[in-house]
Amino acid sequence: MLESGSTVKLRSRADQNADPVIELRGVEKHYLMGDFLVKALKGIDLKIFPGDYISILGPSGCGKSTMLNILGCLDQPTVGEYFLDGVDVAQLTDDDLSSVRGKKLGFIFQSYNLIQQLSVVENIEVPLYYQGVHEDESRVIAVELAKKVGLGKRLDHKPTELSGGQQQRVAIARALSNDPSVILADEATGNLDSKSGSDILQIFDDLNAEGKTLIMITHDEEMAKRTPRVIRLKDGEIGYDTYLHGDK
Amino acid sequence: MSATLPRELTLFRLKRSVILGIKSLWMHKLRSLLTALGIVFGVASVISMLAIGEGASYEAQQQIKELGSQNIILESVKPTNTTTAGEQERSLILEYGLTYRDIAQIQATVPGVTVTVPTREIKDFLWGGPNSVDGVAIGTVAWFPTMKNRDIVRGRYFNEIEMKDRSPVCVLTESLSRKLFPLKDPIGQTVRMQTSYFRVVGVIEDDPAVAAASEDLKGSSESGEGMEMMIPISTLEDHFGEVLFKYRSGSFEAEKVELHEVTARIDDPDRVMPAALAIQHILERNHKEVDYKMTVPLDLLRRAERTKQIFNIVLGSIAAISLLVGGIGIMNIMLATVTERTREIGIRRALGAKKKDIVFQFLIETVILSGAGGVLGVALGLGVPLMVSYFAGMVTIIQFWAPTLAFGISVTIGILFGIYPAFRAADMNPVEALRHE
Repeated sequence: MLESGSTVKLRSRADQNADPVIELRGVEKHYLMGDFLVKALKGIDLKIFPGDYISILGPSGCGKSTMLNILGCLDQPTVGEYFLDGVDVAQLTDDDLSSVRGKKLGFIFQSYNLIQQLSVVENIEVPLYYQGVHEDESRVIAVELAKKVGLGKRLDHKPTELSGGQQQRVAIARALSNDPSVILADEATGNLDSKSGSDILQIFDDLNAEGKTLIMITHDEEMAKRTPRVIRLKDGEIGYDTYLHGDK
Repeated sequence: MSATLPRELTLFRLKRSVILGIKSLWMHKLRSLLTALGIVFGVASVISMLAIGEGASYEAQQQIKELGSQNIILESVKPTNTTTAGEQERSLILEYGLTYRDIAQIQATVPGVTVTVPTREIKDFLWGGPNSVDGVAIGTVAWFPTMKNRDIVRGRYFNEIEMKDRSPVCVLTESLSRKLFPLKDPIGQTVRMQTSYFRVVGVIEDDPAVAAASEDLKGSSESGEGMEMMIPISTLEDHFGEVLFKYRSGSFEAEKVELHEVTARIDDPDRVMPAALAIQHILERNHKEVDYKMTVPLDLLRRAERTKQIFNIVLGSIAAISLLVGGIGIMNIMLATVTERTREIGIRRALGAKKKDIVFQFLIETVILSGAGGVLGVALGLGVPLMVSYFAGMVTIIQFWAPTLAFGISVTIGILFGIYPAFRAADMNPVEALRHE
């Protein structure tokens, strides 16, 4: 592994010859704000390949959140097509969207979003529970993932008994539990001090090294320098999309 | 992931949901407890009110049954509207009440009347050797014990021959015999009233109604209640005449009462009510004033049953209202919980929960809350009647269906009042729910 540090750029592991994990075609999202029609996204075309490690950058109000909601299948585009693993999710019902989220996506949020009444292992198990994985099996997976993020000794702790960095690591383990196609991280280090933050980013680097596809949404330019591919959003459009240190 | 049998899956989900529900409720112990209290008291009040009501009506019915459901009881009552006249002419003899003529007519004309028991009472001191007690001599017939369902404890009852012969024999109640002959065998002893002597031939059990009353007063039977001496009615007439003289607190009163009480037995329970009507007609014709009282135990029994029905409806409505209030309390708290846990709902939706998963989760929580309230309520509801029986000495009857019904209602209320909050939780937009602070 390369030395960690914000200036070190990673070589992209994306396989651009493979079928894209995510493909957006002319995606638009419109909102009605009072009497005005607001176009939060104005025709996004985007391909994300397996093994991609991407930062989506942009100032607030540029459509970042909308982008995340659509990529995360929490919301559906007004216009356009969105293929996730070859499936057009723009046409799915609410229940099917839930299944897609549960099977193919992993979420990491700025404010960790752990469930307070559950312990570390139980939080990691939540996505598996909704997939109908049996308790015995999901417990094994959850314990293994907890160990992987360095929380093997805190399996039965409640989120309130953990530091911010530890909580975020639980959230990462949770996002990994269903072995998703894509992991979406929304300002994952926004609430953390620089030490914990860089620990989390180190875990992301490691995950990408293992071949995971990661999309980080951030407004932090320094963080963006870490990822081989950077996408800049500007007023609901892709302003800039490049592999900084790619060899392809 | 792995393939699991669907049935197993639902069971496992149910188990997990119940555990999760308990955990979520446990986070707010006091709030959950207070919410469940509404149901606890609702259920407890249903069970204990039913038990107390059932016990009270059972007691009433038992007392009525002791009077005999096929009997019609007639009593002489001093007419109220003649008392003003009686005050001016105190020395005059006051004549009222049932007569032999009434009985003869009833026996002759009312269909189904099999036996009649006429009784006449004289209240005065009874002497047995050196002991005396304020008691009553009851002149009656040989078949009195069978009609009144009273057992002979010792010796025998007087018979029809003794009635015909106007023999001076008597039967004492248990408490009277204990008072007059505390150490001796009463059989063969003599009892004196005024200037007449009677030979004791037997001991009869106390009147159950009097016995129950004196038990409440913890054995203070000094009042003369239950101090009864039964003698043949013919003997009574011979010895004491037709006019009763009373010397009480300085004043003098004379009454002429032929019969104090008449009990008529009807052979068929279905003919009791028509017979009662016929007897009523005869008495109305024979008596200018209402100087009698008719009691029909069967009628009382029916009335008691009707009263019990009304009582049950009233209790049922009160219980329903209290459970409704409890249900509204649950709904209120669940709505607050849903709002409070909006973010959790958003997280779960993001992690793959379908709408129905969220509905299920919150519904389970409400049912746990109301079910736990129901269990506590049943426990309390079973305890309260026990306490009431113990401290107030009332009979309480818990019917097996009452706790079952109350618990069932509490769970149903949980489901009914949980549906709206659960659907409200499930219908949240995941994006907005995640952004909720």
